[in-house]
Amino acid sequence: MAELTKAIAEEKPSVKPKKKSSTSRRSTGDIVFDVINTIILIVFTVIILYPLLNMVAISFNDGTDALRGGIYLWPRAFTTKNYSTVLSKQSMPVAVRVTVLRTIIGTLSSTFVTALLAYILSRKEFLFKKQLSLLYVITMYVSGGLIPVFLVYKKLNLTHSFWVYIIPGMVSAWNMLVLRTYMNGLPDSLAESAMMDGAGHLTIFFRIILPLCMPVIATVSLFTAVYHWNSWFDVMIYNNGAKDANLTTLQFELQKLLSSVTNNSASAETMKEANNTVTPTTVRAAATVVTSLPIICLYPFLQRYFVAGLTIGGVKE
Amino acid sequence: MKKIKSIAAFTLALAMMAGMGACGKTDSDSDSKGGSANNAGGGSVEVDEDGIKTFTAFFAVPGNEVDKGNRVQEAIAKEIGARCEMKWLTGQTADEAVGIMIAGEEYPDFIDGSTGYSKLLDAGALIPLDEYWDDYPNIKNFYSEAEWNSVKVDGHVYIVPQFGNDYMYSTDCVHNDEAFWIQTRVLKWDNYPKIETLDEYFDLIERYLEANPTMEDGTPNIGYEILCDDWRYFCLENAPFFLDGYPNDGCCIVDRDTHKAIDYNTTPTAKRYFQKLNEEYKKGIIDPETFTMNYDTYISKLSTGRVCGMVDQHWDFNDAELAIKSQGLDDNTYVPVGVVIDKGIEEHYHSGSTLDVSNGVGITTSCKDIPGALKFMNDLLDPKILTLRNWGEKDVDYLVGDDGIFYRTDEMRSNANDQTYINANLCPYAYFPNYKGMDHDEINACNPSSQPSEFYESLPEPVKECFDAYGVQTYVQMTNKSGENAPWYPMWSYSNTFTADTDYGLAKVNMDEVKHEYLPKVVIADDFDAAWDEYMSVYNERCDIDCYLNALDTEIQRRIDVAEGNS
Amino acid sequence: MSKNVALAADGNAAALKAENKKSFWKQVKNQKTLILLSIPFVVYVIIFCYVPLVGWIMAFQNYKPAKGLLNSEFVGLDKFKRLFGVAPFPKNDVFLGVIRNTLAMGLINLVLGTVCAIAFAILLSEFRSRGGKKVIQTISYLPHFLSWVIVAGIVFDVLSMENGMLNKLLVGLGIVDKGVNWLAEPKYFWWIVAFTNLWKETGWNSIIYLAAITSINPDLYEAASIDGAGRLSRIWHITLPGLKPTILILLIMNVGNVLNAGFDIQYLLGNGLVQRYSQTIDIYVLKYGISQGDYSIGTAAGIFKSLVSIILIFLANRTAKAMGEEHLF
Repeated sequence: MAELTKAIAEEKPSVKPKKKSSTSRRSTGDIVFDVINTIILIVFTVIILYPLLNMVAISFNDGTDALRGGIYLWPRAFTTKNYSTVLSKQSMPVAVRVTVLRTIIGTLSSTFVTALLAYILSRKEFLFKKQLSLLYVITMYVSGGLIPVFLVYKKLNLTHSFWVYIIPGMVSAWNMLVLRTYMNGLPDSLAESAMMDGAGHLTIFFRIILPLCMPVIATVSLFTAVYHWNSWFDVMIYNNGAKDANLTTLQFELQKLLSSVTNNSASAETMKEANNTVTPTTVRAAATVVTSLPIICLYPFLQRYFVAGLTIGGVKE
Repeated sequence: MKKIKSIAAFTLALAMMAGMGACGKTDSDSDSKGGSANNAGGGSVEVDEDGIKTFTAFFAVPGNEVDKGNRVQEAIAKEIGARCEMKWLTGQTADEAVGIMIAGEEYPDFIDGSTGYSKLLDAGALIPLDEYWDDYPNIKNFYSEAEWNSVKVDGHVYIVPQFGNDYMYSTDCVHNDEAFWIQTRVLKWDNYPKIETLDEYFDLIERYLEANPTMEDGTPNIGYEILCDDWRYFCLENAPFFLDGYPNDGCCIVDRDTHKAIDYNTTPTAKRYFQKLNEEYKKGIIDPETFTMNYDTYISKLSTGRVCGMVDQHWDFNDAELAIKSQGLDDNTYVPVGVVIDKGIEEHYHSGSTLDVSNGVGITTSCKDIPGALKFMNDLLDPKILTLRNWGEKDVDYLVGDDGIFYRTDEMRSNANDQTYINANLCPYAYFPNYKGMDHDEINACNPSSQPSEFYESLPEPVKECFDAYGVQTYVQMTNKSGENAPWYPMWSYSNTFTADTDYGLAKVNMDEVKHEYLPKVVIADDFDAAWDEYMSVYNERCDIDCYLNALDTEIQRRIDVAEGNS
Repeated sequence: MSKNVALAADGNAAALKAENKKSFWKQVKNQKTLILLSIPFVVYVIIFCYVPLVGWIMAFQNYKPAKGLLNSEFVGLDKFKRLFGVAPFPKNDVFLGVIRNTLAMGLINLVLGTVCAIAFAILLSEFRSRGGKKVIQTISYLPHFLSWVIVAGIVFDVLSMENGMLNKLLVGLGIVDKGVNWLAEPKYFWWIVAFTNLWKETGWNSIIYLAAITSINPDLYEAASIDGAGRLSRIWHITLPGLKPTILILLIMNVGNVLNAGFDIQYLLGNGLVQRYSQTIDIYVLKYGISQGDYSIGTAAGIFKSLVSIILIFLANRTAKAMGEEHLF
């Protein structure tokens, strides 16, 4: 067992030099391909980037001035007031803390538990593989609906609690299938020889499978982290009581700013008396920047796991 | 070796199960540490070390949360020994939010269920206020007995409608309701003509546009905008009853003699109105983009000051007017004109304050301190507290002149418009009962926005000039004086409670669907008559109008009976 | 080393086959670690996903929150009949149109979304500059973080008749002489939604394919380029087959989601003129039920969607299985 992992570790460095040699030969076709590829990607990037930069410009513009439009890449009447409006919200410190905690705890627990399930279901010999898979696959397409789910969580004492963020979303069928597909692609020989060496399933899972799955673990962690960071619906449904102020999240605060725009049950009569103004576009833009910037920064850190051949290259079938 | 492993696996399995099961426990632990009884978001009344009670409230409308420790909120708390934490609707509909509360049987102390009011009643979630209110005169005397009668359901009062209660008389200066609006520069260009009919209104815009195709800076002018975004499409669809001289009943015309509901969508006036819009669209007076705009785009077009006119309610485009003023385009702000279809019809655009019996704040069965909650609501109606709620603190939010008249400096005025400042400093308890009209000192208006001196202070020069030309002093006077409201008015407080599981409710949803789709089509149609006929045939086929009108007739009669004391 | 492993694997496979013949209980005993480990997962999924399905009886009731699930009045299939417009309820062509729109937008999203995400992932993995790759990758996934309200605002700006970038471009190139009112034409609506989705999600969806590309053995590329294969042929013969399991699994899963074509973007971009083509099931249910607190009709629509989804994934799964490819269960 120990021998095997050592062997894998030793094989790794051999990947790099090979890669270099493959990129050193370049034909005309290669160059044409590169040029076209570069053009496509740059056009694509510009299309993506422009509206985003525009939004950032708007977030730095005076609200009333921005109403008449015509702001492109640079603010016309510069101000940081939109940001101070967002950041000075009283609920901000709590929201940041809860969001960060939820993202970290939720991501670690969910990725680990989901990977374990994926491992179980990737074992070809497992007797109930099909049944258990089906049980989880179906969950992606059915839901009891808002009220029954709420009642179940309430019975479990999950409402008005931090754990409602962590536990119900802990096992994700979707992520499990992604992980399982990747695990299925690993050579069977690895686990089997370890098994012959007397390693148990937990050892194989921790020592062999998890390290080999790093690219997909990184992917799934990213998905989970973003899911946690972006969720606000569960905050609204389960933790929106008067005593739940310490359970609010960033996205829920953002949602409060946005919902005056899409409030689909309003009527002219109720709005007239309510005397509510719609959140200005500029504040919405600033709030979006504030709430999404931290999670956006996560990706570059995970990208190092996305290097071809980092793991699998060492294991030849 | 093997045994150890399976034991390890089993332990892990157990640990995971325990983890799932334990979550409930940890949650109550952490809650009790927080010092508050875990009564699941509502119910218990917290008393802090100063002896100030904290109540909880939920209002099923979008709103703005005030900060903890809000200055005025604390000032009020010091006076009356209680405060209230308020939650508003976010990202779901009122009915959904109320439905969840009912299913979970968790309510805050105070609630305004908005359109979910009837569900709260069905669930028995509200306490009958009239059984307790003898000790709370401010609540009991908030409305007259006749008015309370119209609020009663099954013989009891469960909610206090918060709005539309004038003290002494209405002091409204701004016509917040619907009207045909027109820029002062357009009126000025034609020497302030008298605009009475729809034809005159569009004729003026046409002539103005021909003479002035662009603004001074070269931006092309737009003749007319029709906002048609989601529920805001009232800007397109409800003008016909105004054109016929009826007030804003919202869902129908009520015949003043027969007391029967009339469908305003199919009247000859409706057809003429949409035909007019069709003509203007073809002439290019109406913005070709108008039916695809969302609300943001609409406000942004108005904000440039290019748009000569539109139908809307003032609160809906207030932001745009602020933007116009901030660019120094004072001549491009709007005044209302009460336009009718034919000369001789008396217009009813402005209505006096109205009692909306379908909305109000109530106290729930989860409230642990009903006398305390009633006292809180009662105290909020105390004259001193009313001033704190509506004006703020003396010398900080407003100043008092020698004659006792309240006024504000420019800084105070701009603070009162700044959301961040409001959240930290002002607390009008907007969804608790409040007066309009005069303050209880009988010198000032109840609210800064309707204080005459305050109003004139903020009026742009061109508007003053326009008012002088028409011999009026306020926006409200630009339209006819509102008369006494009819006993059934407003019918929208009934139709707002319709749900699609009744036949008349379904009829209303279908009407909205069909109108949303066909009215824009009719306006942009090449062949108006064909488009109108198609619209009418689909309308009659899909909507059970008779059933809808019958339901309204019944309610009209019921309201007349209540008003006459017959029920 | 590798030979040893392969041999061991062969031997092990033979042993497994022999074991299959042994009794069921013997197998259970052999797999007790796996079975023990899976028990919590069974309990978990039952509590959190299957117990709430009791709520489906709401679809057969006239559910009132005040009365709860136990005491609400049963109405049989009334809610479904109302939904589909079956007698005695008024005929309802609208719902059929709604299903058409949902399916159409769902399918367009599925096909375009998958193709573009794969194409983008491959192009990016072929991009030479390491740093450039990282930057493009990071930028490409930014729009995923914007809420639909903001995205809709951007779409309105781009498509605006007067100042919209698209119209300016088309007029500038002389393709049209006057701005087109894109959002007023029903025929464009599905495609506007499709492109908006592409803009927002291509980068995000490509992440999973990028991760899968890393699992392809670099030696294969090496061998191919020694054989003189060009870049395109390497993509075709190595990258795509390497991605096949991932593509298939995602396709099967997403086929089940075609009826979830969305709510927000159609709701925000839609208007009366395109209503016939913009309404999805979710919007319809909001208008006719949920927004007025009629949970029963919402549940009925949910059951309908679930049934369709499950049928679709069973079909897709069976097809994949028959072809001997990666499948869900």
